[in-house]
Amino acid sequence: MIHFDNVTKVYVNQNRPALDHVSVDVDKGEFVFLVGPSGSGKSTFLRLVLKEERPNSGAIHVAGKDLARLSNFKVPHLRRRIGCVFQDFRLLPNKNVYENVAFALEVIGKPRRFIRKVVPEVVELVGLDGKAHRMPDELSGGEQQRVAMARAFVNRPMILLADEPTGNIDPATSIGIMKVLDRINRTGTTVVMATHDAAIVDSMRKRVVELEDGKIVRDQSRGVYGQAY
Amino acid sequence: MRANFIFSEVWIGLRRNLTMTVAVIVTVAIGMALLGIGLMINAQVGSMSSYWSDKVQVSAFLCKKNDPFQACKGRGAVTPQEREALKTQIEGMPQVDRVFYEDQQKAYENFKASYSSNNVFLSIVKAEDMPEAFRVKLKNPDEYKPVFDVLSGMPGVSFVSNDKQLLEKFFGLMNRLRNAALIVAVIQVFAAILLIGNTVRLSAYNRRRETGIMRLVGASNLYIQLPFVMEGTIAGLVGGVISAILLMLAKVVVFDGMQSYFVLSTQLGWSEVAQVITLTTVVGVLICVLASFVTLRRYLRV
Ligand SMILES: Nc1ncnc2c1ncn2[C@@H]1O[C@H](COP(=O)(O)OP(=O)(O)OP(=O)(O)O)[C@@H](O)[C@H]1O
Ligand SMILES: [Mg+2]
Repeated sequence: MIHFDNVTKVYVNQNRPALDHVSVDVDKGEFVFLVGPSGSGKSTFLRLVLKEERPNSGAIHVAGKDLARLSNFKVPHLRRRIGCVFQDFRLLPNKNVYENVAFALEVIGKPRRFIRKVVPEVVELVGLDGKAHRMPDELSGGEQQRVAMARAFVNRPMILLADEPTGNIDPATSIGIMKVLDRINRTGTTVVMATHDAAIVDSMRKRVVELEDGKIVRDQSRGVYGQAY
Repeated sequence: MRANFIFSEVWIGLRRNLTMTVAVIVTVAIGMALLGIGLMINAQVGSMSSYWSDKVQVSAFLCKKNDPFQACKGRGAVTPQEREALKTQIEGMPQVDRVFYEDQQKAYENFKASYSSNNVFLSIVKAEDMPEAFRVKLKNPDEYKPVFDVLSGMPGVSFVSNDKQLLEKFFGLMNRLRNAALIVAVIQVFAAILLIGNTVRLSAYNRRRETGIMRLVGASNLYIQLPFVMEGTIAGLVGGVISAILLMLAKVVVFDGMQSYFVLSTQLGWSEVAQVITLTTVVGVLICVLASFVTLRRYLRV
């Protein structure tokens, strides 16, 4: 599903590579944690998957497509098959829960009838039923992140990328967020989650890929956050 | 495409940038109105010059009793001999095509027809105030000089007027007016482009959250850019409508009004005005769309 082959990314005006000859394979339906210290290249990895950035060398395939050969014109279509959530939620403050989720479908031109049908389903899936008409500032951080997950998942993407989704959320609430991610993963969606949260990684017992200074230093199925020798 | 979705986004954008939008509309309206005025002057001059091209003539006015003209000072009205001599002289010149004699009664009738709308003139001028004249039609209106010079020196001639010269003076004035209008129009267009650029930049900044999410969820570039371009288009259209109203006013007040002061003999028709309005509106909208598009490419990463 995601295939990195010897990928190196050096940002302009930067001499140290953000990713250094990274090769990794993520299969369909997998759940992968991307861990590592700050600045180790986790967000860069996710941006490369979205083709928000281009690698300096190496090949990236996502959902069977070679990103180097994907024209700019087709990039939006790639992104429709990838959902994204971030540490800062990125909700529209002037739209309520329902409208925030519906926005993702409206801007890709989905018909209104379809939107009316699927948005409530997804709002329920993330555990926000009954709160569809709340505005973002009337929700807790954990609830806002659920809205973001609903928006990321509403178009049934093949891949869900999560960049520190629990970074702004207390540990108890984080468990709820992870349950939603797990639920999404069980529908067959591949999930890649970058995180600093050791407790979460340890409790989930999923595959762990660890980066350090842009290099993969560990790739372990059913791993834990810290090095387990 | 979800049309109502796009329109609601556009509406929000326009309202958020109201002052800038108004500035764009006013600038576009003034620029396009001036462009239209320039084109209308052009059309007026064009139809006038084609109307006049086969009518221009050299007129030699003859002395009447107590004529105030220098050439007639100290002498009475033109004598029949002088009149006959003039006629032979004119007919003998190689540049002359035809010559007509106009007596005082005929001159008065022409005058009444020309100034039918001006009652003040009509009430103070009488037939005996009108000079007799020879109206000379030239083979080539550009070769008026020899005829003009000979006639000016003949006894019994009060003064000689050449339509060609009068028209050229008038056309020269009209052309200068047109050029002034077009120059200011170009400046306005330039200002409009800068204003639109600024509006789009502001709008892109205001909507950066929305556009960021749109990119993320895979909205096509067209969908992301359309609200911005539509804002420009709507501003351009509103500006176009305002300039259309200004142009229609200009037709009624200025161009038709001019008709009663000068005898232009050709009226600027509504169909010409409609053409001008269509053209200026299209130009205005195109400028807005292009300016939005160009600035978008700089401020909206896709
Ligand atoms: N847009 C950019 N321009 C230049 N350098 C960048 C850019 N984004 C990231 N970097 C650099 O690339 C390296 C990797 O950054 P990245 O954001 O991928 O790290 P990260 O693992 O996500 O860190 P964190 O855990 O703090 O989010 C860092 O050294 C960072 O300074
Ligand atoms: Mg990061």
